[in-house]
Amino acid sequence: MSQPSVSAAPGETIAVNLQVNGTSHSLEVDPRRSLADVIREDVGLTGTHLGCEHGVCGACTVLADGEPSRACLMLAVQADGVEITTIEGLATDAGMHPVQQAMHDAMSFQCAFCSPGFLMSTVALLRDNPEPTEAEIREELSGNLCRCTGYQSIVDGVETAVQLMGGKSS
Amino acid sequence: MSSATTDRQSSGLGFVGQRVKRVEDERFLVGEGKFIADLNHEGMLHAAFARSPFAHAKINSIDVAAASRLPGVVKVFTGAELNAVTNPFIPFFTVGGLYTPLYSCMSDDRVRHIGDPVALVVAESRYIAEDALELIEVDYEDLEAIGSIDAALKPGRTQLWEKADGNVLGEFTDTFGDVDEAFNQADRVITKTFDCPRQSNQPMETRGIAVVVDPTTGHLDIHSTSQAPHFKKWAIAAMLVKDSTAASLAKFARNSERRSAFLAAAKDFVAANKEKMAQQDNSGMVSQLKKDPSTMLHQLRMGAGLLAADDYPTVMAADIGGAFGSKGPVAREDVAVAAAASELGRSVQWIEDRVENLLDGGQAREERFTMSVAVDNDGMLKGLRVDAVLDQGAYTGFPVAPALIALLWKVYFPGPYNLDAFEITSKIVTTNKGRVVPYRGPWANETWARERMLDLVAAELGLTPVEIRSRNVMREGVSMPDAFITGPTIDETMSVAKTFDRALEMIDFDQLKRDKADAEGRGHRLGLGIASYHEAAPGPPNFFSSVQPGTDLFVYEDGRAEIGTDGTIRMFTSQSPHGQSHQTTYKQVAADEFGVKMEDVEIVWGDTDRTQFSFLGTGGSRGGPMGGGVMRMTARELRQQVEKVAADMLEASVDDIDIIDGNIHVAGVPSRGISYADVAGKVAADRNITDEPAFMEAMKYEGVGNGGWSVATHVAWVDIDLETGEVEIPRYLVVEDCGPIINPGVVDGQVRGGVAQGIGAVFYERTHYDDNANLMSTTYMDYLVPTAMEIPNIEIEHMETLTEGENDARGTGEGGMIGAPAALTNAVSDALGVQVTEQYLPPYRLLELAGVIEPEK
Amino acid sequence: MKNPPFHYHRPATLDEALALLAEFGDDGKILAGGQSLLPVMALRLGPPAHVIDIGTLEELKSIEVSDTAVTIGAMVRHAEAEHSAEVAEYTPLVAAALPHVGHRAIRNRGTVVGSIAHADSAAEMPAVCLATSATMHLASAEGTRNVAAPDFFQGFFTTAIEPNEILTGVSFPAWGPTTSGTVVEVSRRHGDYAMCGVACALDVADNVINGAALAFFSVASTPVRIAEAENVLLGQAPSEATYQAAADVVTDTLEPEGDIHATAAYRLHLAGVLTRRGLAEAHDRIGVPA
Repeated sequence: MSQPSVSAAPGETIAVNLQVNGTSHSLEVDPRRSLADVIREDVGLTGTHLGCEHGVCGACTVLADGEPSRACLMLAVQADGVEITTIEGLATDAGMHPVQQAMHDAMSFQCAFCSPGFLMSTVALLRDNPEPTEAEIREELSGNLCRCTGYQSIVDGVETAVQLMGGKSS
Repeated sequence: MSSATTDRQSSGLGFVGQRVKRVEDERFLVGEGKFIADLNHEGMLHAAFARSPFAHAKINSIDVAAASRLPGVVKVFTGAELNAVTNPFIPFFTVGGLYTPLYSCMSDDRVRHIGDPVALVVAESRYIAEDALELIEVDYEDLEAIGSIDAALKPGRTQLWEKADGNVLGEFTDTFGDVDEAFNQADRVITKTFDCPRQSNQPMETRGIAVVVDPTTGHLDIHSTSQAPHFKKWAIAAMLVKDSTAASLAKFARNSERRSAFLAAAKDFVAANKEKMAQQDNSGMVSQLKKDPSTMLHQLRMGAGLLAADDYPTVMAADIGGAFGSKGPVAREDVAVAAAASELGRSVQWIEDRVENLLDGGQAREERFTMSVAVDNDGMLKGLRVDAVLDQGAYTGFPVAPALIALLWKVYFPGPYNLDAFEITSKIVTTNKGRVVPYRGPWANETWARERMLDLVAAELGLTPVEIRSRNVMREGVSMPDAFITGPTIDETMSVAKTFDRALEMIDFDQLKRDKADAEGRGHRLGLGIASYHEAAPGPPNFFSSVQPGTDLFVYEDGRAEIGTDGTIRMFTSQSPHGQSHQTTYKQVAADEFGVKMEDVEIVWGDTDRTQFSFLGTGGSRGGPMGGGVMRMTARELRQQVEKVAADMLEASVDDIDIIDGNIHVAGVPSRGISYADVAGKVAADRNITDEPAFMEAMKYEGVGNGGWSVATHVAWVDIDLETGEVEIPRYLVVEDCGPIINPGVVDGQVRGGVAQGIGAVFYERTHYDDNANLMSTTYMDYLVPTAMEIPNIEIEHMETLTEGENDARGTGEGGMIGAPAALTNAVSDALGVQVTEQYLPPYRLLELAGVIEPEK
Repeated sequence: MKNPPFHYHRPATLDEALALLAEFGDDGKILAGGQSLLPVMALRLGPPAHVIDIGTLEELKSIEVSDTAVTIGAMVRHAEAEHSAEVAEYTPLVAAALPHVGHRAIRNRGTVVGSIAHADSAAEMPAVCLATSATMHLASAEGTRNVAAPDFFQGFFTTAIEPNEILTGVSFPAWGPTTSGTVVEVSRRHGDYAMCGVACALDVADNVINGAALAFFSVASTPVRIAEAENVLLGQAPSEATYQAAADVVTDTLEPEGDIHATAAYRLHLAGVLTRRGLAEAHDRIGVPA
């Protein structure tokens, strides 16, 4: 099922269909723009943060087809047709996602600038591994930098989420 | 989605002291925080700075023509263009013997560090602005760069600043007690030099400024990641003054209303601060004017311009993604972007990127200390001499100059130990490096050097680290003086000794022996390190006058409480939160005072049009004691006013009024209560007011009592793989006393975050300049902020000593970072059996110290 | 830090991609997972004029297993290979290397072959190619060719890939039950590029080492395999003393350079330590299902 080829000179745009939090957005995008910039500026969801723009800090982590991915290290055109989930896609009318609730209960964050990345990484972690050990939590979250907390409260938050989501307490 | 707060009043408990969950989370955790890059102003233009790739160079020419022609570029300002419409940074803070070179918001004839801004592009997007940067041609002529403290101290090298004496900007000595006598009498003198390399604050959010220009009035609404929005407002207003001094004064003279208002305010200020002003130390301004008399002319021009101005900018700080001191200063970029917007008459924003942040977003702690300790053979300390050098980089931080750090050393260095005499000489040197800013406990290296030195002295005397501390630490009722030898008074319940003793109880020394043997069996080495300190948080009333007479003019805290005609309670703080959970803790405090639920209180911050002036904003571990203190006092005052009206309405005595969960009633008769809305409505009706608060109280708070100290003892266990130099921290213990805790969840977070930064400083982080001042750590691949894999769980023991009163919650924001480097390097020394004299210990260095590999030449 | 302008191409077929490369040559750059290329572009370090996005090419997305080799296509992401039972079973050294590559989010997007083509000498996968004697499959509009790993890595970020070629896949020889391997490394932080690391393999039967491979990374401008050290091992019984003998040869052979994270002496020392540790771990893994 090969797709038709696409080409754009500098300054030209490409039609992209972004699926963000279950909503389809048909956008004309300059191919050089990062997925993070397009989510923030064109889709208008500013919960995904840019901390370093070179793939180290993890603040911009979103789920791309369910998998944590750096939105600063993806061109928006690469996300054409990919299901993107951002921090804004976690809560429902019924309330916070259990991971959000758990991070609240554990007082996980301070300035919270890094929180979108940690939340998205945690959601994927607990989907794949509902009862991680502390060592596994720390390893899986090691791609996300936090400067405020020393991480302990975030690890507590993940462990709290395990309980909220029906896993064993650690 | 709420539920942050629980109803505690009705159960007779207050919110203060409880682990109340953060109300900030309600927006942050769902992605609805409003950080500066999220504000999305209509029609905003985007700025990017052309920055020097040279550490030190002359600018022969700059050509922005090609960049200006790029489609989407609105304007390219050269440095000279922006400098022509702005006033320079002049020293706000001076010290006798210090010269502070003036500098402009941009560099136009010379660059002095990698990243020095030379042109500003304003374009329709940041992408285009960055494209334009690549088209700017600058002809640089390389100059010798000063890349180290050694180079800066060497005479005859290329000077960064023409009017300076070499590259030393200042030197000042302070003496307490008879130092010669102490050194002559002591059994021996031990001398050692300690070096700390450069680090960086590195908040996860970079800096940013968005200047919104009102197209009709020209008024500037400045959104800024500022810890101190009020100071930024006045600083930017001053630096944008264009009129001559004479023209401004003439305009001011013509405006009789303004004139009389100013004279009245000045009179009030002088009356209120006569004593402090009389003590003010003007020797710094004298030193400055000797070197550069033009300082005064600039000062007059800006001062006169402010007097005459028809309008001042509004500065607004919304959500801020961390700062750790780096967002307190007013930076060159702030002034440049404000000037560009003002010149263009269009809104412009600059969001710093991470590389820029690593280049010049704030650096710290490159300092050297030669310490001489006069000590008797039994370990009793007699005297201390310190020769300190601080590398401030090229441009002096504003308004808090690095020289202030040296003055804080002067007060702090002896620590919680009794000494007969102390002398410190501090030199401030300038090098071709980025700007030094306050970084969480800016003076912290005194604790590092002192606590390291104590272990070293102990080893020389055949004592243990515990013994030397036990013999010298100030003890309540035994050896606790009324004041430190350096001036500040001590509230005698402030006791580092208590935290030290408690820490010792929590260390199993027998187990430590077994663990050390076990580590050796695995080819590892395990060590334990202890460090104690006190910090002024906020300190006693004479703390700042001990630092420098006159600085205490700026350290009060203003606050305001209002009750709207609908009964809404609003608390206005001059603090500028950036992670410290002010909103939660101030709601706790105010809700208890008013007898309402936390959700019934609104906290207002960050907008200079709505909050009162504060020089410091959020900084100095003052948010709890000072900011919280003024919230409590204003709320209490207002409640009394409410009770009076309510007593009339309920036909009862004021003394009988009780308020629980917002129900204002006669004690014991809650069923016949009225609400804040009822009372406010009554006042509004009686006074026929609609658009002003029914109740309002503003206060200036200066703290209480002689204490205000936070104290702690840190204990670190460090395990080093002797084959690879890899480090593990199997246990880290903080025993701390910050008085009665408002919210333990918040305090724990502050302590742990500080310790994590200390761990980073010792084992991972370095702003690495080579000898030619080239910056080697310009990305997050090379500036290593530690991850969840490197930071261990941190055990905290709270002491919570109650001292003089209800406002004696003390600050805790900085302590973690103050104690950690000392405890960790002491532990490394213990593990390796080597006295470490440097703070940065990457794996290769640990193996060099252990003798496993040869040191690099 | 925003990407510079470039001409973007998303070809529908590999042939189209090759035709674009034939046209643009040095001005063209392949975008696969982008985890190496995009940071370089954001930092504006020599941006390409033409970016050819091969992310949608289905023919490059498979892991193929034959009797003799596991072939990983150019669009197979690290995470897919990491979770592949075939990779774990037949080429356990690749499986051992993958968890060391960056962090989860990077592995979810970055590709195994992209990491090899990028040829960062501090990265794990190029060293694994050397240690396993992998075969590189190159395609151009003119045809295909195979290059052996030792001939492939030529210098810092420099490989045998010609400007008109795409590295379409890499074949790792399938190992038998007597062979296993591991990657050991020391990095500043978890997930960082190593200061020194080694991909090593041992073939041991009847307590005799019949084959050995030691490929170091982060010690030179390319990954480095040290045959002299391997030879020391051959015919010997696995033991600490044997491993130490090999480590001595390693430290006599390598001449690494220093940087801000590791001095030359430290790197060299680590190479010796990791040789011992890696060989012991490789031996322990023989016969143990991944």
